[in-house]
Amino acid sequence: MIRQSDDIIIGTVARMLVPFIQLFALYVIMHGHYSPGGGFQGGVILGASLVLLLITHGLPETKKLLSEKGVAILSSLGLLIYSGIGLLCLILLGNYLDYSQLSKILQVAPNEARSLGILGIETGVGLTVMAVMFSIFIDISTGGVLPEDEEE
Amino acid sequence: MNQFFLGAGIGISFLVLLVLYRVVFGPGVYNRIAAISAIGTKSLIILLIMGFIFHRVDMFVDISMVYALLNFIGCVAVAKYLEMES
Amino acid sequence: MIEIGMIVVSVICILGGIFFFTTATIGLLRFPDFFARLHATGKGDTLAVLLCLIGLAIYEGISLTGLKIVFIAVFMALAQPTATHAISRAAFRRGVQPWMKGEDKK
Repeated sequence: MIRQSDDIIIGTVARMLVPFIQLFALYVIMHGHYSPGGGFQGGVILGASLVLLLITHGLPETKKLLSEKGVAILSSLGLLIYSGIGLLCLILLGNYLDYSQLSKILQVAPNEARSLGILGIETGVGLTVMAVMFSIFIDISTGGVLPEDEEE
Repeated sequence: MNQFFLGAGIGISFLVLLVLYRVVFGPGVYNRIAAISAIGTKSLIILLIMGFIFHRVDMFVDISMVYALLNFIGCVAVAKYLEMES
Repeated sequence: MIEIGMIVVSVICILGGIFFFTTATIGLLRFPDFFARLHATGKGDTLAVLLCLIGLAIYEGISLTGLKIVFIAVFMALAQPTATHAISRAAFRRGVQPWMKGEDKK
C-alpha cells in the first residue's frame, strides 16, 4: 500500500507538472500520422502522468480522482470507440474499418474521411492504454488486496 | 557546422562510457541510480544533436521531450521505492 | 552578419555545456562519498543541459522547433533538482552516513 509521503517539494512539483504532461500526451496522440507518436505512445504518457500522481500523493488521494469503477468504464469506452467506428463503416456498406465510407455521413472528401477515421480510433486506443496502465500499477503495488479487505 | 556537431556527439558519448563504470562498480544501489539519471540526461542531448546532423530536427525534438519525461518519472519512482520500510 | 554572430554564440554555449558535462563526470568518478557525487551530478549536469539546450535553440532560430527546445529546457530546470532531492532524501532516511575526513574512501 503506497502511503502518503510527508514531502512538500516533490508533491508540489508533481502537481504543477501533471497538467502539462497530459497536454503533451494529447499532442502526441493528435500528431500520430506526421511525427513519431500515435495512440499507444500517447496512452503510455497519459498513464505515466497518473503513476506520477500515485507515487507522490499515495493511493487514497489518487482514488478520489479516478476510482476503480472509473478505470473500468474508461477502458471499455476506448474499446467501444474503436469497434464502433469499425462497425459504422460496416453498416454504411463498406468493409470493416473502411474509413472512406464515412464521407457519406460527414460530407467531406474520402481522403479527409480516412484521416478523421484514423484520428478517432487513435483516441480510443489512447484511452484504453491509459486506464489499463493505471490499473496494472495499482494491482502490482497493493498485491491484489483491496483496502476494504484489509480493514476487516 | 556538421563536423562540430559530430565531434560534440562523439565527445558526449565518450562521457557516457565513463559514467558506466559507476553503474557497474558503484558500491550500493544509490550510486547506480544517480549514475543512471546522469546517463539519461546525456543521451537526451545526444538525440538532439543527431537531429541536427540529419537535418530533421522536428522529429527528434518530440522524442527527446518524451525521454526527459520518462527519465524524471523513473528516477522518482525508484527513489520512492527505496525509501519505503519493508 | 547577424547570422555569423548567432552561430558563434551558439557554439560558445555548446562548448560551455560540454565543459560542465566533463567536470561533472570527473566528479562522479573521483569523489569519495555518495553525497558528494550526488552534488557533482545533480548540479553540474543540470547547468550543462541548460547551456546545451539554449545553444541549440539559438542555432535553430525563432520557429516552432526552437520554442519546443526552450520548453524542454524549462522542464529540465524544474525536474532535475526534484529528482536529485528525491534520491538524497531516500538515502538519508535509510541511514547512509556521510564521509568524514580521515576515513577510507567509500
